[in-house]
Amino acid sequence: MLHIKNLHARVGDKEILKGLTLDINPGEVHAIMGPNGTGKSTLASIIAGKADYEVTAGEIIFHGKNILEMSADERAREGIFLAFQYPVEIPGVSTTNFMKAALNAKRKHQGLEPISAKDFLKLMNEKRQIVELDKSYLSRSINEGFSGGEKKRNEIFQMAMLEPLFSVMDETDSGLDIDALRIVAEGVNKLRDKDNAFLVITHYQRLLNYIVPDFVHVMYDGRIVKTGDKNLALRMEEKGYDWIKEEVGA
Amino acid sequence: MAFTDNIDNTFAALEKDVLTPEREAALASFKALGVPSGRHEEWKYTNIKTKLPESLRLDDGRRTTDDSQRKFNSFKNIEGTKLVFVNGSYAPALSAIAAQDGVVAGSLRALRSQHADLIAKHFNKATDTTSENFAALNTAFAQDGAFIYIKRNVKAAQPVFIIHLYDAAAADVFTQSRNLIIAEEGAEINIVEDFQNAAGEKFYNHLAEIFVAANAEVNYVTLQLDNKHTTSVNTIDARVDQDARYHITTLTFEGKLVRNNVNAYMDGKGALATLNGLYLCTANNHIDSHILVDHRVPHCDSNQVYKGVLDGESTGVFNGKIFVRKDAQKTNAFQSSKAILLSDEASVNSKPQLEIYADDVKCSHGAAIGQINKNELFYLLARGIDEATARGILTYAYGSSIIADLPLEALRDHLYDRLKERLNITF
Repeated sequence: MLHIKNLHARVGDKEILKGLTLDINPGEVHAIMGPNGTGKSTLASIIAGKADYEVTAGEIIFHGKNILEMSADERAREGIFLAFQYPVEIPGVSTTNFMKAALNAKRKHQGLEPISAKDFLKLMNEKRQIVELDKSYLSRSINEGFSGGEKKRNEIFQMAMLEPLFSVMDETDSGLDIDALRIVAEGVNKLRDKDNAFLVITHYQRLLNYIVPDFVHVMYDGRIVKTGDKNLALRMEEKGYDWIKEEVGA
Repeated sequence: MAFTDNIDNTFAALEKDVLTPEREAALASFKALGVPSGRHEEWKYTNIKTKLPESLRLDDGRRTTDDSQRKFNSFKNIEGTKLVFVNGSYAPALSAIAAQDGVVAGSLRALRSQHADLIAKHFNKATDTTSENFAALNTAFAQDGAFIYIKRNVKAAQPVFIIHLYDAAAADVFTQSRNLIIAEEGAEINIVEDFQNAAGEKFYNHLAEIFVAANAEVNYVTLQLDNKHTTSVNTIDARVDQDARYHITTLTFEGKLVRNNVNAYMDGKGALATLNGLYLCTANNHIDSHILVDHRVPHCDSNQVYKGVLDGESTGVFNGKIFVRKDAQKTNAFQSSKAILLSDEASVNSKPQLEIYADDVKCSHGAAIGQINKNELFYLLARGIDEATARGILTYAYGSSIIADLPLEALRDHLYDRLKERLNITF
């Protein structure tokens, strides 16, 4: 589904990704762990199409298309979703209106008519329950005055609404208490199926108790340096990141 | 040929009435003042001199469209009185008066005899014809406009709409129209004034005088939404008496050249004025908001929030004056002027001007000029919304807060829809 080959990227003169390769197939959940400043969030941003980075080599192929040639909005309409580490507050636009615009943009891309008001309401009602998001949040301005947990639940709600094929979750667990973490993780688990895939970026193993990954990758200094199953995450938690640094000779 | 060449002949041809002496004085004043050039301090950034018609031609009743054929946005889904004017002249066939006890609403020309004393007492008492060029011109030549009179302690249950239409036959007419609004002690009313010029180049010089007596409340909304080909000066002068509340909001979505003079004179202790505005400017258009709040007495509050959105090669001006006179202790005056520039070629001149002569006051002002927030934009793009729409949505988010404070839910909904239409977004 998503194939990242030898990806190099930088911001200004600083090289951040130094030859990252990763293959993700439908139905799989991959986790990327690693110390701070190793390029995890950069990878998420580059997949989603944020303009601040310059890709100097490599490619990202999604369903046979090189997405590096697409704008961020085209990628999203093709089925790529980024759950933001820091969801943005936008006063003046309700989540309802935001989702209506986003869903209809996707439908238009698929050659479908805009969704009817009735069907849209029904869909919102159904999807918000996945993350136990109260109805009142949907008519409020996007993320305005939301707690950290509410913002992350809103991200997963948007994921549920847009039904992406491939979702990147950028440190979705950061700043969440255990209840919010559980709700978010259970929400994601409800959305997993054989046709979609997830890339879960996290600093801690905690989230992976709830969203159980098929593969765990350890990222260090702009590359994936180790890959294993869910037990690798437990080992990371237990031993910290220092042994990885030693192993790769840093 | 100069604009002022035929001015005496035009004046001589006007009907004489009780206001003629006021008009003669205003004519003399205008002849002395002339049309302001760029050397005039208050017109430094707005070059109107070369944009006006070559001669002063008033509405002479020429019409290409029969009133019954006229299409306009009538606010038909909102209850209330509708006063419609075509080129500044009252159009009874298009108007609808909702009878309300204690509220008189109609044509100033038609009602001037019936309410002669009241009109004489107020006409020209809120505006400044000695130094304001266009106020002088308007006072000399305006023949008609809205007259709204709300009697003591009457809370008007329904709003009054003043709708100005401009006929295509009158491309050379420089419409002069004039409102007089009198809210007596304890009276309350919502007034919405809309200028609709769907097609063809038009010129107008409009002036509204608003008297808000003690403990009265007037909420006045000026709409310039269908204004693409219009060159206009619109002056709104209010006198706000003790404990009265006056709210004026100006929404300008288009305009070839727009100059809005919004002046509030705080005459009585404990008065409140809010002066808000949203303007959207495109192409090589120009929108100038000149705001004045004159705190003359103690214990008054004023709040101003202006927001601009400038695209293309358009230019904007915000000039916000706050005077706090020596006696106006315990004044609270607040001003915020913001603008976002959507293109590299658009520009805005923002000039806050606070002149404070009292020592026990709270006054603040803030001005900010910026761009669309990149993180917000990326958030929308990442959900599949194309860039033009995303920018429209963020502009909507920025501007719609000015609408959120308006009275009448049906009006707000109408204006939200118009703003979306203007920004080419749907949801």
